[in-house]
Amino acid sequence: MQLVETLINGCLLGGLYGLIGLGLSINFGTMRVVHLAHGDLIVLAAYFLVVVLVPAGIPPLAAAAIVVPVMFGVGFALQHLIVQHSLGRQLDRALGRGVLPPLIVTFGVSIVLQNVLLHYATADARTLQSSLASSGVTLGGVAIPTVRLVDFAVGLGSLGLLLLGLGRTALGRALRATSDDLDTARLVGIDPRRMYGVAAGISAATGGVAGVLLAATSTFYPSTGSEVLLVAFEVVVVGGLGSLVGTFLGGLLLASAQLLGAHFLGPSYGQLTAHAVVLAILVFRPQGLLPRTAP
Amino acid sequence: MTARAAAAPGRLRAAIAAALVILLVACPAWGSDGTRATLIVFAYHAGLAQMWNLLAGYAGLVTFGQQLFIGLGGYTLAVGAERLGLGVWPSFALAAVVAGGLAVPVGALTFRLKGGYFAVGSWLVSEVFRLAVGNSAYLGHASGMFIRPARSVEPWTVYYLAVGLLVAMVALVVVTLRSRAGLALMAIRDAEDAAAGLGVHVWRLKLLVFVVSAAGTGLVAALITVQTPFIQPNAAFSIQWSAAASFMAVVGGLGTVEGPLIGAAVYVVLQDQLGATGEVHLIVLGAISVIVMLVAPRGIAGLVRDRLGWTLFPVARRPPQAAAGSTTGPRAA
Repeated sequence: MQLVETLINGCLLGGLYGLIGLGLSINFGTMRVVHLAHGDLIVLAAYFLVVVLVPAGIPPLAAAAIVVPVMFGVGFALQHLIVQHSLGRQLDRALGRGVLPPLIVTFGVSIVLQNVLLHYATADARTLQSSLASSGVTLGGVAIPTVRLVDFAVGLGSLGLLLLGLGRTALGRALRATSDDLDTARLVGIDPRRMYGVAAGISAATGGVAGVLLAATSTFYPSTGSEVLLVAFEVVVVGGLGSLVGTFLGGLLLASAQLLGAHFLGPSYGQLTAHAVVLAILVFRPQGLLPRTAP
Repeated sequence: MTARAAAAPGRLRAAIAAALVILLVACPAWGSDGTRATLIVFAYHAGLAQMWNLLAGYAGLVTFGQQLFIGLGGYTLAVGAERLGLGVWPSFALAAVVAGGLAVPVGALTFRLKGGYFAVGSWLVSEVFRLAVGNSAYLGHASGMFIRPARSVEPWTVYYLAVGLLVAMVALVVVTLRSRAGLALMAIRDAEDAAAGLGVHVWRLKLLVFVVSAAGTGLVAALITVQTPFIQPNAAFSIQWSAAASFMAVVGGLGTVEGPLIGAAVYVVLQDQLGATGEVHLIVLGAISVIVMLVAPRGIAGLVRDRLGWTLFPVARRPPQAAAGSTTGPRAA
């Protein structure tokens, strides 16, 4: 019974993990950049919610509705002001040997964000105080914290929205075209810079949603950004590069591994178990669960 | 293809290098204890950056996982000297063996990931070791362990070791890059598929460089641990090591031998001015590396080379016609 309970909780938390990975996946899918500040953007959103909006008297749900568009703007601006300029070579020559500049630049942004948070918001643990965090429901004899149900529902909902948006809208088609063939996309009048900005904005907006959920689900610190980035990376690698559905499933697997490890081996082994599962997948199934199917 | 980028006369270059080495060796005659401490910090940072540059600047392996080898080297020294009683110096040598040895399976695994995913993948492996060490009672859990036998090591011994290590690393990098393997490495960095097509054993050569870099980083770690003499998993396996290494290589000049040395000097000065652990220091470091990457991606050494046409360690190669002074031939800096 306890095993079932742990597994169900793992899958539910996995909704949040999957969402964390989706942002990284969108960024990489469109511009082939592993955005190393993605975890810090998520934590930035969580701080914005808990340190700025909620103390200002805005109810959590309304505050969450503010965080997401603001994070879209942050992602868009960051892309245009900074990250874009590290891609110059890549834009000029479709796919050049440009992995180093964007990595160094996004890593630098990550360090700056993390330490700016540390400087202004201190190293104190934070969390979103809400009725959600303490309540629970019992389904068929299995106790589940409500917040994890919300994590899963919102994560799954975001995945659905992204798939619809990428698959069925003109903007989604333009994004996929930019990803598939930069030069041909340009020929039909798509501006790759604009597409990259939009993709970075969407990625950061999913990060905004993830940040709200993170704040409601657990405590966080400025340094949580690095942990979140590693989660995003693991989820993407487990899921298979280039597949949003795979990324989401990777989230479920990773969170389940973490909770099972914590349950059977002790709390300090949760993360270690999750990491070990990722390395094992890298050895035995390096292409991941669902390699390159969806956009 | 043996023509070298000959800008400054070879003799002048050798004289400058020799003068620097003599100045460092004669430090007890002119420097204070403070100078010694600063130079030790400079030397091990320069060594760390040199090893990172070997991967990112020459082999195209951008990594944020070098702290793995800092941790492995440091803990090898700690276990050898404190737990097994092997003595400080045998443990010191062992640090290179363990770090280099473990780099083989780690490289075999992480090389399955490309580009940015490789960079984060090696960070992940380092996290696994950090968590595992933190869970080990033998290694003192997260609170770490003291290395008592290292307390009797003289500060000047540490100094000569640090300087010797740095000189050896620079020499190793220069000799490697001037060899056939160096040419193959730069071919891999610039066009991996084309290099493979010309018969370069890409995977094997990359692994070799990864192992050499790991062993060198392990020695740097052992040196730091002898000096401290204390080790803790969260500090030893900290991402800050990779942050520092990439900062120094980028600011100094990627893919140059003098770059990491210049970068380490900048790093040590900034650390001195802004405080070693403060977040302001890290904000400045992060911002500088972003700005340098966007504005002058070849770093300080690259600027000097472009403006003055001068380099201390000429390891770059130019096609014969460019070296002969032709203005129409393609130039490869």
